[in-house]
Amino acid sequence: MRRIFAQVRKELTQIVRDRLALSLALILPIMQLMLMGNAISLSVEDLPVAVQDLDDSPSSHLFIDAFRQSITFHVIPFSTKISPDEAFIRNEARAVLIIPNHFGRDIARGTNSPVQMMIDGSDSNTARLIAGFSAQVANSWNTTNGAAARVQPVKAAIRFWYNPGRSSKKFYGPGIFVLALSLFPPLLATLATAKEGEQKTILQVYVSSISAHEFILGKIFTFMIVAFCECLLLLTILFTYFGLSFAGDPTPFIVATILYAFCTSSFGTMIGAAIPNQAAAMQAVALGGFLLVFMLSGLIFPIQNIPESIRWLSNFIWGRYYIDIVRDALLQGGGWPAVWWKVGIIAIIGSIFYTLAWRNMRRMQLKS
Amino acid sequence: MKLIQFLFGYRIRALLKKEFAQIRRDRRLAMSLILPPVLQLLLFSFVLNATVSNLKLGIIDESRTPESRNLTSTLTESKSFRMAGYYYSVDKMGDAISKGELDAGVVIPHDYTGELERGRPVTVQFLLNAMNANTAAIAQGYAEGVILTYNRTLGAQGIHARFSQIAAPALSRKGLALMTSTYLYNPGLVGTWFVVTGIFGLLIILNGSIVAATSMVKEREQGTIEQLLMCPAGTYEIIVAKIAPLFFLLFMMVLFATAIIKFVFDVPFEGNILILFAGAALCILSGIGIGTVLATFTHSAFQAQLTSFFVNPLLTTASGAVTPAEAVPGWLQPLVRINPIRHFSVIARSSMIKGSGLETLWPNFLVLSIFTVVMVSLSVWRFRKQLS
Amino acid sequence: MTASATEAAVSAIHIEDLWKRYGKVEAVRGISLDVRPGEIFGLIGPDGAGKTSTFQVLAGVMEATSGTASIFGKPARDARSETGYLTQVFSLYPDLTVLENIRYMGDLRRVPPDEITRRGQRYLRMFDMDRFEDRLAGRLSGGMKQKLALACALVPEPRVLLLDEPTTGVDPVSRREFWDTLAHLAAGGLTILLATPYLDEAERCHRVALIHQGLIQNTGTPAELRASLNSKRMELHTSNLSGAEEIINTLAGPDQEIVDVQRFGDRLDLIVRHPDAAEVILRDTLIPAGLTIDDIRIDEPTLENTFVATLRNLGQEVHSEPFPGRHGHAELKGQVAIGATNLRKEFGAFTAVKDVSLDIKYGEIYGLLGANGAGKTTTIKMLCGLLEPTFGKMQLAGKSGGLRSGSVRQRIGYMSQKFSLYNDMSIKENLEFFAGVYGVPEEEREEKMRWVLSFSGLEGKQDQLTGSLPQGWKQRVAFGAAIQHEPSILFLDEPTSGVDPLARRAFWTMINRLADAGTAILVTTHYLEEAEQCNRLGFMVAGELVTEGSPTAIKSAQGGHLLEFVVDQPQRAMEMLKTDEERWRVSLFGDRLHVITDDEAAAAIRATTSRIELAGMKVITAREGRFSLEDVFISVVEKARQQGKFVSED
Repeated sequence: MRRIFAQVRKELTQIVRDRLALSLALILPIMQLMLMGNAISLSVEDLPVAVQDLDDSPSSHLFIDAFRQSITFHVIPFSTKISPDEAFIRNEARAVLIIPNHFGRDIARGTNSPVQMMIDGSDSNTARLIAGFSAQVANSWNTTNGAAARVQPVKAAIRFWYNPGRSSKKFYGPGIFVLALSLFPPLLATLATAKEGEQKTILQVYVSSISAHEFILGKIFTFMIVAFCECLLLLTILFTYFGLSFAGDPTPFIVATILYAFCTSSFGTMIGAAIPNQAAAMQAVALGGFLLVFMLSGLIFPIQNIPESIRWLSNFIWGRYYIDIVRDALLQGGGWPAVWWKVGIIAIIGSIFYTLAWRNMRRMQLKS
Repeated sequence: MKLIQFLFGYRIRALLKKEFAQIRRDRRLAMSLILPPVLQLLLFSFVLNATVSNLKLGIIDESRTPESRNLTSTLTESKSFRMAGYYYSVDKMGDAISKGELDAGVVIPHDYTGELERGRPVTVQFLLNAMNANTAAIAQGYAEGVILTYNRTLGAQGIHARFSQIAAPALSRKGLALMTSTYLYNPGLVGTWFVVTGIFGLLIILNGSIVAATSMVKEREQGTIEQLLMCPAGTYEIIVAKIAPLFFLLFMMVLFATAIIKFVFDVPFEGNILILFAGAALCILSGIGIGTVLATFTHSAFQAQLTSFFVNPLLTTASGAVTPAEAVPGWLQPLVRINPIRHFSVIARSSMIKGSGLETLWPNFLVLSIFTVVMVSLSVWRFRKQLS
Repeated sequence: MTASATEAAVSAIHIEDLWKRYGKVEAVRGISLDVRPGEIFGLIGPDGAGKTSTFQVLAGVMEATSGTASIFGKPARDARSETGYLTQVFSLYPDLTVLENIRYMGDLRRVPPDEITRRGQRYLRMFDMDRFEDRLAGRLSGGMKQKLALACALVPEPRVLLLDEPTTGVDPVSRREFWDTLAHLAAGGLTILLATPYLDEAERCHRVALIHQGLIQNTGTPAELRASLNSKRMELHTSNLSGAEEIINTLAGPDQEIVDVQRFGDRLDLIVRHPDAAEVILRDTLIPAGLTIDDIRIDEPTLENTFVATLRNLGQEVHSEPFPGRHGHAELKGQVAIGATNLRKEFGAFTAVKDVSLDIKYGEIYGLLGANGAGKTTTIKMLCGLLEPTFGKMQLAGKSGGLRSGSVRQRIGYMSQKFSLYNDMSIKENLEFFAGVYGVPEEEREEKMRWVLSFSGLEGKQDQLTGSLPQGWKQRVAFGAAIQHEPSILFLDEPTSGVDPLARRAFWTMINRLADAGTAILVTTHYLEEAEQCNRLGFMVAGELVTEGSPTAIKSAQGGHLLEFVVDQPQRAMEMLKTDEERWRVSLFGDRLHVITDDEAAAAIRATTSRIELAGMKVITAREGRFSLEDVFISVVEKARQQGKFVSED
């Protein structure tokens, strides 16, 4: 126990001394959370929409005003003499709204007038959003603009649960929180372990007859502490700037966070023990910790969208389970019944990493 | 004359030969330039798919009449929603949503048919899990769209005929603005086209910068920098010789990636492929430029990589490569404007999907060129200074 | 070679028929040796001789392929609690402070916390480092780092210390202090096994073993080894060194009266069987050739002589083709190649180099010596144009401005400390690169390359990766690469570190040839014995050039005498004398005590003898010895320090 403690104290001292590592541990996660939490968003505002008003009547102006008032769109006038796809080729607009001749007259006469929305399909998701939002704008224009009497037989009342403001921040915030915890503690753990091999200080450790368990646990505990510090920092930001709070029982979150810190620190130590070269080990962790968790855990894009041929891989990605737990704790509040087995899986993956790290180090000798 | 002397001088030849010899030996580098980018391109583009389809829909049908069943079948017939089960109470359905078993729920009231028959409008409630704002927004569009279509189909049926007479006398009617959306360039709304063209630039910049930084810092790390600075070659010669093989390798990567984009993802090639390659070449140089500048600030490969952890998230998030550039908050927009990833993705998307030419893309080329020149000059200047 | 059981029992370290293979490479090929408790045992050999593998097995961090290695009767791996191990690279955590390092090592070995503090303080005080308790280990000088590593290894109070090249890269002053500490510890009963490539250090061991290519060639006390050569060393001063060397070379041979000849900066060293007979031969041959014999001195051969003879017997002689020099610089001889007046370099508030003035002429070999932090590296960087001086005038290759221009660099050859070659390229590619970038004419490249390969003893291996070569070989290739374009000015920054004695001789032969052809050569080295091969030397202390002159002139300018005592209790005698005299004046070489005194020799011998005998010890022999350059260097540094020139400890 004493040797583990000595190990932890030494590692913490080293982190505090190393400005690059310290900022990696504490500043970078915050930067990442603020940056990506704010910037990663598929829902957009101020999309440039070019308008070709062939009618140019009071009615068509009113119709365009409806678009102008929507926060989603940013209306830019567009000459009727140019072919609408010019706007796309020049990357000036995401969509072109074309109001036909006689729009005003037709509406007044009670005839339906076909309005066209030409959308640049190269960004398909945004294209879909534009189609949806423009239909909404047209609908509400129809109901308010004199056609009030014309009631729709069936109306859809849509209620948004868990994130009623539909704020992207609230969805991505927890995801990026998980990403930070999946990347930085194992990265530091890997650097610390690989460094001992690279700078040959590992020899002194071998000579001291400390056991592999003590050595590895010393590293892991250190980076678990780092992970907890990061966790507290990031939670503070999530609770204040992102306006989140615990939606229900926080205990599954707490238990899962401890296990997850263990899991990722073990992952880092395992890689560092296997690759005694800081640059190479770091690449491996960046690949495992960042790419896999980023891509295969449903962080930004839903897991269901991953093609089946590789979707099964996501079952092995530790971050996937933790993301579910964190989102549940902060948004849904399902508590233990919803997530207990995910907590278990994190523990299992963590112990696999630990065992692998231990197997690699167990002889505490140079490999010939 | 001087240029020719510079290009074909014995010193630059010796330097080039040395750099190529080193790159040739560095299997890890060659591998890391070809293999991961290809994998990343494939994985990212398959995985980063924002398409919302087959949303799991739970149904509470309190009405249980032919009309309500008609509504539910209209909902689930579309590709947007998939029936995931019937529920009997809102609480149960709420639980299912919170466990992630359902993405959305619909509640049809018990007097659905009755109210319609009486000519009164009736409200159907949709419950959407809005945790993911994007999915929710698109689901909302789907739900409203389905209901709109449903309303129109009602026209042919008896209920609607009655409804129109009771609720809305034809006299007071005004016309409707009927919105129809058409999608240009990508009528099938294939999601990967957007992602794959964005990832392309991301790969060039991220891989280019890290590879360039590692290779530049190597001289320093191994201590050969002094020997190099003592030889009669000039700083420009050294830097040009360092950049050349990297450029070559990265361009190989671009060719690979282009082939994948064309043959695996079937992205159309509407424009001139030379424009794409010219843009890629400038993008490679910008990436190398970022890397060489990073390298002059660090002492070892791993430090350069660590530093790139600070730079890359910034470049990536402010790029519009996988998420729309308009979604980047205002205070980051200045970075978007100079970001080489952003400019290359505009070039790639416009020239490939839309067939834009140089006459519309020249501002992007200009920014990329300026970026490259600034970065390379900065690294030459820093390289000279790094010994003192 | 089988040691009896009783011998194994009294041995502190017992190695029997130890083998270590890495794949096909046989690093250790059946070593057997025994080290007695309380002994300083030196394992001497060049890079790649198998020293490190042996140490790693003994430290229990690596498994041997076969054979036994035991410490106090226990297998090495189980005896880890008894051993302290210092590796070649400083095995410290540079981002921890001195105390934190000690604490961590103590904790790992389960030393009680209050004991860690107590012992840590004791060793730091012993090493004169207690002022630096809170300094980061990474900010210590090489010598202090090594002392700290030693303190860390000592805190668990091991019975055996394994030191793998502890003094590599450590300057002579720190090295001497380090050895004084070792002598003190060994006297306290600690067993020390130590590896070193420096043969002058071997003199300070009780016993040494010469190890070469994984085999032990020779074991014994330094005196026994020297005696085994059955020869004397003759120092010959003559007016024309290169002429005399040429003539004597034709006479010398393993079966001749003159066995060997080696050129030094201002003399020739001959190994002769019978000094009188040899002197006759010399007079008969040199004087008719018009050469003078100014002075002849007879002395014991050095360990280096022994080692060279041993290696020669093994057929390891370096035979190299003559250098295909096409562009001599003889016409430049006598002109100033490197000139500096009042050179000064400031880094912020810190003045690294103060008013250094020197002139190095074409055809001259100039050695720049100094402790770490004395400003040597900064001076060289300024002299070769890599660093802009803050103040002062520079002249390089006849130019005083534009020193960074390609045309100036074209005339310079530069071999930087340790790293001059690209490890990831083959030897051939490296040579082609340097030939290409310096514009060696195409038609000469082939023969230049052939010459470098033969000089390095690597014929036929040109496609091997440079990184796979041991340091010593790499240095030879790097040297070859640096002179391919026949520069008129050559900078060599510690060119021979890790090079075995035979190859080092080949190096110096070549350096002398180049100088004869008119090249100006600036050399730095930590190896003072080697520095004697320079024509002129400059000693730097605290950024200043304090002494300059030929090796003999510097030695004779050094007032005072070196006294050598053999005492029955050498350790106690040293401790006692150190309390009376300045510490640097007294040091222990194996069982002999060296005392440097400024008084008249005979009187000083009498005075010291009576002091030792008063304390109840017995002086067995007492005589005046001869200063080595290292003694001179240390006293110069110490005297400068007393004059208030503070030697930076950073």
